[in-house]
Amino acid sequence: MTHDMHRRRFLQAVLAGTAASALPLKALAAQPDLLWMVWENLAKDEYLAPFLARSGVTISKNFIGSDDEQFAKLRAGGDSSVDLITPGLDKVDYYMASGLVQEIDLAKIPNTAKIYDAFKNSPLGKADGKTYGLPFYWGINPLVYRKDLMDAEPDWSVFFEDSKYAGKLAMRDYALEAVMIAAMYLEIPRDQIFHLDDAQLAEVKKALIAQKKLLRTYWSSIGDLTNLFATGEVVAAYSWVPPYHELNARGLSMGIANPKQGTIGWADSLAIPKGVEGEKLEAVYALIDYLLGEDYGKMLAVGGPYAQSTSSARDMLSKEERETIFIEDMSVMDSFIWRSNPERYNDWVALWNEVKAS
Amino acid sequence: MSRTGNWLAAPVVLALIATCLVPMGVLFAYSFFQVDFVAINTDPTLKNYAKIIGSETYRSLIGRAFLSGAVVVAITAVIGYPVAWFVARRGGEWKSALLTLLLVPLYTGDMVRIFAWRVILGAEGVINRFAQWAGLITEPIQVLLFSPIASHLVLAYNFLPFMVMGLWLGYEALDDALVEAARDLGAPPVAVFRRVVLPMTLPGLIAGGMMVFVMVVGDYMTPQLLGGASGVTVISAINDLFGTAFDWPLGSAIACTLLALLGLFLAVAAYALSRMNLGRSLISGEA
Repeated sequence: MTHDMHRRRFLQAVLAGTAASALPLKALAAQPDLLWMVWENLAKDEYLAPFLARSGVTISKNFIGSDDEQFAKLRAGGDSSVDLITPGLDKVDYYMASGLVQEIDLAKIPNTAKIYDAFKNSPLGKADGKTYGLPFYWGINPLVYRKDLMDAEPDWSVFFEDSKYAGKLAMRDYALEAVMIAAMYLEIPRDQIFHLDDAQLAEVKKALIAQKKLLRTYWSSIGDLTNLFATGEVVAAYSWVPPYHELNARGLSMGIANPKQGTIGWADSLAIPKGVEGEKLEAVYALIDYLLGEDYGKMLAVGGPYAQSTSSARDMLSKEERETIFIEDMSVMDSFIWRSNPERYNDWVALWNEVKAS
Repeated sequence: MSRTGNWLAAPVVLALIATCLVPMGVLFAYSFFQVDFVAINTDPTLKNYAKIIGSETYRSLIGRAFLSGAVVVAITAVIGYPVAWFVARRGGEWKSALLTLLLVPLYTGDMVRIFAWRVILGAEGVINRFAQWAGLITEPIQVLLFSPIASHLVLAYNFLPFMVMGLWLGYEALDDALVEAARDLGAPPVAVFRRVVLPMTLPGLIAGGMMVFVMVVGDYMTPQLLGGASGVTVISAINDLFGTAFDWPLGSAIACTLLALLGLFLAVAAYALSRMNLGRSLISGEA
């Protein structure tokens, strides 16, 4: 692959050099090489192949391990060479406040017309009516459980109230979601969840300390949690979707619960670092339009399986494929609580450390 | 000759300054800053250190890290003494092979070892399955995995080789005639160990103990993945502050505090070591 690229670049350079004065060989002029900071599963070669073939652009990938790591890298000055980043939609605030990203010109991305209303109407990724983080793809972080080892579908209360499943539960080691789930369990109104006051935080802390006794462990990587489900150490967990698909495929009976208190929805966005301009910027816009388009959307829905933020590929999918990525009945999106950036996030993290150290 | 030596050493010294001291300096400087959402306010303040002193959480996490270090040093010392004795006195021509064998687990990598231990200690693991099969228990013993017991057991397993190395050096320097003399004079085995072997191998114990201690205090994967809900460490708290919370200043301040306390601890240990003959020869190469 790199070998090929080098050869192609070399040929491009030679051709451009010899023909430069006489012919405006636009198609052969060196196309930009874009550096994309992205999760590995979103940038598989086959997903991007149609775009690469069509545009002549090359893409280098810089895989991220966590959102925080991506921000830390850019913040520490690693943004000079990056052309496109993939922050969580709720984290775009951080990048905007740090002046790391530029406004996105929606007119240059025709597929943005097909963005789902839930995202169009969301304030996330925007400031003063301008868009800095464009919703890219989304999903839910559900309560996953072993159907064969539990009598009934659980809801969030299983993580807070003593039951026969105590000691067989797991929660992600992540302040944002731990506090969100406790707040949902405590029935704190949705519009207040990201603006908790001292009294509410104290209540949340109490609930989380009680929860700790019921947990087998906190999980920190999804592979680790999958393993815990597979060995039966854990029967229910606040999870991501992959263990559900992976273990069902391996013959275990896994379920996704639909807790009455709500489910956490998330979206990742595409954002363009400040300083990307000219030819590269045009190429980035073309890439974004491709990522929101039907070819990529279909591959992501089947291979991910994840839903992109637009309806581009929806009609090309079967009913089952649509159900898998939660876009068969679009009203379900209304029941999600979208991850946002809490006002007092540092207090949330401090609280979470206090809970874990208690 | 010595001038040439200085010049030859210069690149190493420069590399050390650039890769070790400069980042530490940056960390130290950050510990006096403040964070406001994503902006770092560089007006120096001691607020972060005040926060650490005032926070029961951070105080207890640092205390717990040191306690864990001490516990693991004690476990590895108890296991390490007979092992080191065997290698030094009964190893014979196999000595180097035994020492190499001792290090084999270290070649496998942290994650592999951690997951191997899960297979052994889990509710469906080797030990529980066996005990159930043998009729010793009816329900699996949950506390074997995801508990402080599990994390300390595995930490001791991980770092035992370092302790054995230290103790082995101690035994190599121990004159058997002294042990024999003590026995001839009627000292029971416990007294021989306590009054002859222990004092004579103490430098090895301190050297091994220091290594084990520092590594346990800095370990984060093992408690995180085997310690269960109570597996939080001061290192994971620092990680949360740097990553999730973007509070680099407070994270730096905790890291610096931990480093200072560790430095103090090592200084005391090194001082104790330098007061002993074998210790002097270990440190300075003088006989």
